[in-house]
Amino acid sequence: MKSLTLVFQNIFRNKLRTTLTSLGTMMLVLVVTLVWSVLAFLDTVTSEKTANVKGIVSERWQLSSQMPFAYATSLHEGAARNPGDVRPDDAMSWSFFVGTLDPKSRASSQKLFAFALEPEKLLTMMDELDSLPSARRAEFEPVVKKLTENRQGIIVGQSRLQKTNKRVGERIKLFGLSHQEINLEFEIIGTFPPGQYDESCAIDIAYLNTALDAYPLTHNGEKHPQANKSLNFVWIKVPDQDAFSRVTDQILNSPTYSNPAVKVETAASGIASYLEAYRDLFWGMRYLLTPAILLTLSLVIANAISVSVRERHTEFAIMKVLGFRPGHILALVLLEAVLVGAFSGLVSAAASYYVVNNVYEGLKFPISFFGTFLIPEAAFWWGVAVGGGTALIGSIVPAWSACSIRVSEAFSRVT
Amino acid sequence: MTDQSTQQPDAEPSPLVQVVGVHKYFTRGNERLDVLNGLLLDVPSGEFLALMGPSGSGKTTLLNIIAGLDKPSEGEAWVGGECISHYSESRLAAWRTRNIGFIFQFYHLMPVLTAYRNVELPLLLLPLSAAQRKQQVLAALDAVGLSDRAKHRPGQLSGGQQQRVGIARALVTDPALIVADEPTGDLDAHSAEDILDLLGELRTSMGKTIVMVTHDPHAAERADRTLHLEKGKLVTRDSTLATV
Repeated sequence: MKSLTLVFQNIFRNKLRTTLTSLGTMMLVLVVTLVWSVLAFLDTVTSEKTANVKGIVSERWQLSSQMPFAYATSLHEGAARNPGDVRPDDAMSWSFFVGTLDPKSRASSQKLFAFALEPEKLLTMMDELDSLPSARRAEFEPVVKKLTENRQGIIVGQSRLQKTNKRVGERIKLFGLSHQEINLEFEIIGTFPPGQYDESCAIDIAYLNTALDAYPLTHNGEKHPQANKSLNFVWIKVPDQDAFSRVTDQILNSPTYSNPAVKVETAASGIASYLEAYRDLFWGMRYLLTPAILLTLSLVIANAISVSVRERHTEFAIMKVLGFRPGHILALVLLEAVLVGAFSGLVSAAASYYVVNNVYEGLKFPISFFGTFLIPEAAFWWGVAVGGGTALIGSIVPAWSACSIRVSEAFSRVT
Repeated sequence: MTDQSTQQPDAEPSPLVQVVGVHKYFTRGNERLDVLNGLLLDVPSGEFLALMGPSGSGKTTLLNIIAGLDKPSEGEAWVGGECISHYSESRLAAWRTRNIGFIFQFYHLMPVLTAYRNVELPLLLLPLSAAQRKQQVLAALDAVGLSDRAKHRPGQLSGGQQQRVGIARALVTDPALIVADEPTGDLDAHSAEDILDLLGELRTSMGKTIVMVTHDPHAAERADRTLHLEKGKLVTRDSTLATV
């Protein structure tokens, strides 16, 4: 550590080169941080939990699950029929309603993708919303309350609201795309907190059901084609995996759900099934993009350190003459590189954490029903590890060349 | 510092440096290039010795062997009663720190460090406290008359001043032997005189043994003895004859 002054002085010997190396490191660490933030979030939502397990009940044989709404009530009870049967701690019905603001256009900017659900479940069953920080929860609770009081209310994700050029308080009419001839009028009563639901909307499932029920009145008594298959999912929450297994058995053994048959998955497993379509993209991000960035980063640092070492060949020889051993010189060069890399990585991670989360309110990267990703706090150590680790790898060869210099080179000018 | 295997057998007071039958050759492909041929040399403690000779005569190779920077192909080099020819690289490195002070033609100071830090550099390898290091660095800078330039970087100093810092760095570990490779070769006449005065002072007031390689007969005149090398052999052992 006595040589630390020498390390710092060498880092600042060529400020332009150190700055450029540092900026290069920051840019690449930024990309890694963004990629890993998306992957880490998806890993989290698709990893099985041991407590407060969420399960999804859906149609067994059809990927686009469409169950009769009559299933909802008993599924909320976990199909408990006998004393001693396990009942879920909480449950939520879930239907999708996709509509357009302009009946003549199917442009993405006009479309709204809404979850139809019991409004009060927004704060207890919805991922991310059930664990909001207290300040955000305090802001969102009144919005949920409005939805429970106003059946025609709609909560719109902030990014989607901006894209549709609408404002809170405006009234809108959605022409059904998922439900033909079901056109619903709404009042925009608020927005989701920034994050996972930036591109989504939430409406009261009772409003959608009422519209389906009223359909025959204007269609010669004919039911809407989706009247008997309007329930896409039922979400249940149980305390642990054992309770989940028992509720699953209760549902699967119940004769009530035979036509169509249903299946029960954990939320993690269910989400993983939905993300299956993106498998190649994730594979590419994880096994091609990330390694390519890390390799590039190592090469950038290796190049900078190599130039620096070449410039200092004589100095290293002099140090050896004075008694510095190869290990000392190796450590000096590696330490220089690792300090620059780790510091740049930390700065990059801290900046991306602040800018992405606080200025842009999340990374907009729509995947399935996830629209926005936040940079996790773990990004701080990712930055240090990626910057420092790649610097260490990239500087091994130049450092080895520095410590292998022959001491007699110091006197080589005179024979 | 010494062990039995390297203890000099001679019971008489021995010279600080003894070069015994040293051969040094390099091979390039099948060709053998002899640089030093069976050299014998004694340098008594406290002597100021100048080594002269044409380029390629082997004087720097000899200096490297005496200073523990290179090893002879045959023969032995003894310094301070230790046979250093068989030391490992890492033992030689540790030995050099304590026993040899180096002065270079082009000063070879670290451009990013102040004069103080440059002089302190060899002390970082020794088990000394910060206070002890400071005391030794200030004493060395004082000895070369540069106490007031301690915070200057090499780029802010003249050539003569940089060489003084180099000498302070050579002195700071209090080595018995100082090797100087063309110490005045890059200096104007006035600065060269100052440096030679300083080297003379190191010998007279501090009792340092100095081995200096030089091309400059005027610099060699300041030494107690001048030896000439030609084709790897010492051709003169007397300074008066050498300057004829």
